[in-house]
Amino acid sequence: MSVRVLNPNAEVLNKSAALHMTINAAKGLQDVLKSNLGPKGTIKMLVGGSGDIKLTKDGNTLLKEMQIQNPTAIMIARTAVAQDDISGDGTTSTVIFIGELMKQSERCIDEGMHPRVLVDGFEIAKRATLLFLENFKTPVVMGDEADKEILKMVARTTLRTKLYEGLADQLTDIVVNSVLCIRKPEEAIDLFMVEIMHMRHKFDVDTRLVEGLVLDHGSRHPDMKRRAENCHILTCNVSLEYEKSEINAGFFYSNAEQREAMVTAERRSVDERVKKIIELKKKVCGENDNFVIINQKGIDPPSLDLLAREGIVALRRAKRRNMERLVLACGGEAVNSVDDLTPESLGWAGLVYEHVLGEEKYTFVEQVRNPNSCTILIKGPNDHTIAQIKDAVRDGLRSVKNTIEDECVVLGAGAFEVAARQHLINEVKKTVQGRAQLGVEAFANALLVVPKTLAENAGLDTQDVIISLTSEHDKGNVVGLNLMDGEPIDPQLAGIFDNYSVKRQLINAGPVIASQLLLVDEVIRAGRNMRKPTA
Amino acid sequence: MREIVTIQVGEFANFVGSHFWNFQDELLGLASDPGSDPIFRNHNLNMDVLYRSGETQQGVATYTPRLVSVNLKGSLGTMSSRGTLYNEGSSSRSDSSTTWFGDVDTQRSEPRKRKLFLKSLYEEEQKVGKEIEDKDIVGSLDEEVECWTDFSKSHYHPQSLDELNGLWMDSKDFNNYGIGKDVFSEASRGEEICDRLRFFVEECDHIQGIKFLVDDSGGFAAVAADFLENMADEYTNVPVLLYSVRSPMSQMSPKKTVSNKLHDAISFSRLSSLCKLFTPIGLPSLTGSKASKFLNLGDEKPYRSSAVYAAALHASTIPFRMQPTSSDSSEVSNSMDVNTLVQLLTGRGRQNIVAILDSAMPAPTLAGKQLENTLLTNLKALTPEVNEDVEDNQAVESMCILGALRSEDKEALVSEVKNAVDASYEHAITKTKPLFCNLSVSRCPLPVPLPFPSIFGNLVGIKGEILSSPVSDSLYRGSLDVHSIPVATRWRSSSAILPFLESRMGHLEKLGIQWGAMGSDVVRSWGFGREELQEMRENLSKMVSELNPQFFESSDSD
Repeated sequence: MSVRVLNPNAEVLNKSAALHMTINAAKGLQDVLKSNLGPKGTIKMLVGGSGDIKLTKDGNTLLKEMQIQNPTAIMIARTAVAQDDISGDGTTSTVIFIGELMKQSERCIDEGMHPRVLVDGFEIAKRATLLFLENFKTPVVMGDEADKEILKMVARTTLRTKLYEGLADQLTDIVVNSVLCIRKPEEAIDLFMVEIMHMRHKFDVDTRLVEGLVLDHGSRHPDMKRRAENCHILTCNVSLEYEKSEINAGFFYSNAEQREAMVTAERRSVDERVKKIIELKKKVCGENDNFVIINQKGIDPPSLDLLAREGIVALRRAKRRNMERLVLACGGEAVNSVDDLTPESLGWAGLVYEHVLGEEKYTFVEQVRNPNSCTILIKGPNDHTIAQIKDAVRDGLRSVKNTIEDECVVLGAGAFEVAARQHLINEVKKTVQGRAQLGVEAFANALLVVPKTLAENAGLDTQDVIISLTSEHDKGNVVGLNLMDGEPIDPQLAGIFDNYSVKRQLINAGPVIASQLLLVDEVIRAGRNMRKPTA
Repeated sequence: MREIVTIQVGEFANFVGSHFWNFQDELLGLASDPGSDPIFRNHNLNMDVLYRSGETQQGVATYTPRLVSVNLKGSLGTMSSRGTLYNEGSSSRSDSSTTWFGDVDTQRSEPRKRKLFLKSLYEEEQKVGKEIEDKDIVGSLDEEVECWTDFSKSHYHPQSLDELNGLWMDSKDFNNYGIGKDVFSEASRGEEICDRLRFFVEECDHIQGIKFLVDDSGGFAAVAADFLENMADEYTNVPVLLYSVRSPMSQMSPKKTVSNKLHDAISFSRLSSLCKLFTPIGLPSLTGSKASKFLNLGDEKPYRSSAVYAAALHASTIPFRMQPTSSDSSEVSNSMDVNTLVQLLTGRGRQNIVAILDSAMPAPTLAGKQLENTLLTNLKALTPEVNEDVEDNQAVESMCILGALRSEDKEALVSEVKNAVDASYEHAITKTKPLFCNLSVSRCPLPVPLPFPSIFGNLVGIKGEILSSPVSDSLYRGSLDVHSIPVATRWRSSSAILPFLESRMGHLEKLGIQWGAMGSDVVRSWGFGREELQEMRENLSKMVSELNPQFFESSDSD
């Protein structure tokens, strides 16, 4: 072979071996993630070599924790993670869908079919399914007043696959309310405006929505108030510390007095800035008002001293993103220079207080008017619990955002997959000429992997379930799977809805990757042994 | 007090860092031990510059490095990424499924075995098991060390250790700029790293600088560059001292590939544009180099080679923590802050930001007739691709000497060291004197902690003095035989660095930019456009012309 001429160490896997390597890798990955799917899936506890614990039911997190070596598996994993990046959910579904497509293809190829023909069939089926999805989706009207009920149902569907029911239901309201809080008419929703903050608390498992902001640092002066009411909030990005400025880079002093003079001059300009802020405070603050500075740059002890003497609370080195959030939560605007200080640039909060946990300090900015930014505060006994809730909250937020932006949802519990499969088999397949029909059929059967896996994870008999679902569907009903008893249910009544964009992305990406993998007929790797089992 | 925050990015950088923090831990231990040499008890060095005080939720006081360390996943060995101090205790570990009442599928990877050294530390803490002989520990370390945590005796804060998740590749495949390119920005990894840094910076009342160690031989160069870019935005006026450290292993292969050369050029040009002072450390081979006249190093083990670099790093940063109030006390002299050093080396006449680091370990004894010359000749460059024969009368130097000895086992006074250095410059025959030389002295030598590798030859005595006759047959003497050593380091801003700069510029031009260049596909796949490369070349040639005024004339003529 020509490759061998170029590199004697190169190893070449030809047609069938190459194909089986990729198919096995896809199936392997599917096996790992399969048990995650749905509200009856198992949670995975990963204990690392150093005893670190990771707890997850999220396919995305699990993939990132795994040390994947096989090139095919990496390709699939990247697609799945990209799915999560784009639509916020559906990682597990992507992996098992691709795995199932490969599995169905394997059967056809073993019977002598050429991968090319299969791939053509996939393409036809994909387009037909996307078209079908357009008709199948349930439109939701998202006017100025969003339909809170439907949002809650979508969020609940997502959250219940990640957390137990009670906790999921508690989070549902929080997640929906926080997205509605940051939603602005005519603008895309920026989920970063919801801060997710966590506290490690010995016994407490609790999550709450703070209308306002929680910062993970406090003031750095002993005399500053720990609790202040009626606060004017100054959000700024002004250095209030003495630093050698760039301008003086080439300047050298020749004696101690000159040095002193330079230092005092520098210091004075910092003090000037502090004084301007104090002036503003005096101008706006009444008897019972307080003044809080939240600064992105540093504030050194002398400046803190000056501010503390005036009863001002000051926080330094705030997160860049919090500057944006603060303005949205409290009003006013971020100030970049003391020359821009005006009473209008100030925001307002009813209550600012500090909470100390060991060496960690938290500052709560609450009771704000018309907040457009908020914080979800998660308390948990240990890191892995917090991390898991955090992941779930993120997924919940994404599902609500998707619903608002899609202005439609898709019936869940496997209803879409069953309906689409029947559509492909009963309608589409007949319109296709020749052997590509088999590709369409393989695609249609692969869709069923979602209800099958749901059933399997719930401990039901998959064949029974599929038969009862398809026959119920052929009677003309839209049916999903009841995981309690394996009977068909109406997902609409049960309130089980999935995101439209997640499904669309899944149907788009799955066949593309599967087709690419199927068309690989030679794997070449220079100088390394592929057949050796990799861990 | 002026704080420094340390950042370590990449495998070898963390090896060096681990030794560095071992030195600090040893210094802290000796300072509080009433039985130790008084020289360690009042060293007049402020440890708070590097360390932070904190407290766990249980109210236990902690003292941990102000450190952000970035690692590949799985390279922390037996160390938990949360460190060792802030553990929530075993009770809360069992109630794992408070968030899920369904089935739990536990995947337990084989617990990694603690190496003998860590086991001894752990058992000492728990007061169980029988004492493990120091001798066995030292012996076992050389064989057993696989990752940098295996010989680290320092405790770390939970915010310190970061692992890059979801890369799905071996450390040996993470070997060029292109591979690391999107690592920082993807999957909010960068955000997490920046949050960790912010945690430490927020606490600082008056930060003097950031000490940034990066193993830029692979994909970490790109991670570091993105991180630095982010820092430049956030902490505009905080000077960054960048050390690029490379293990001899990473430069072993005799024939560098096109991609290696381009990687070196690009990573240097990106990183140097984002810091105030760039110090490349890492010789292609330590065994054959002059740096190891009294040391037996070997190139294979990063555990051994990193120790030499860590000692130089320690010595070179000592001036930043001398108590400024005692500017001329009997223990230390001539404290500096990061900004002063940067201006000293880069701000005079020539704007050269690439410095050479020389080190003498152990530093020679000051007594004896030929003392004048030994100090300067013993200082050997740890920076690769340096032209030692160059005469540069514009050079600027900053030297730092720790614990120099006057005779067999007597530490020299600060004034004696100063005089000796003056004298050695006076009597130097071969070399052109530098334009300016700054000298900082501390009487406190480098303590050799237990997990320090056995790298000393048989001419090194218990206090690091150089003996006239071999003391024993053993070629490898370690922490049990040598308790402390004097170290001298010197920063040089000199045209001796020109070969380093020129080779990078040449490779970029020849392999990346020229029409039909061999590496143009490589750089394109790394996502660099032609303009970007040209801008890099522009910057590099500006650096070269700072040091070599003829350069512009010659390149203009054609």
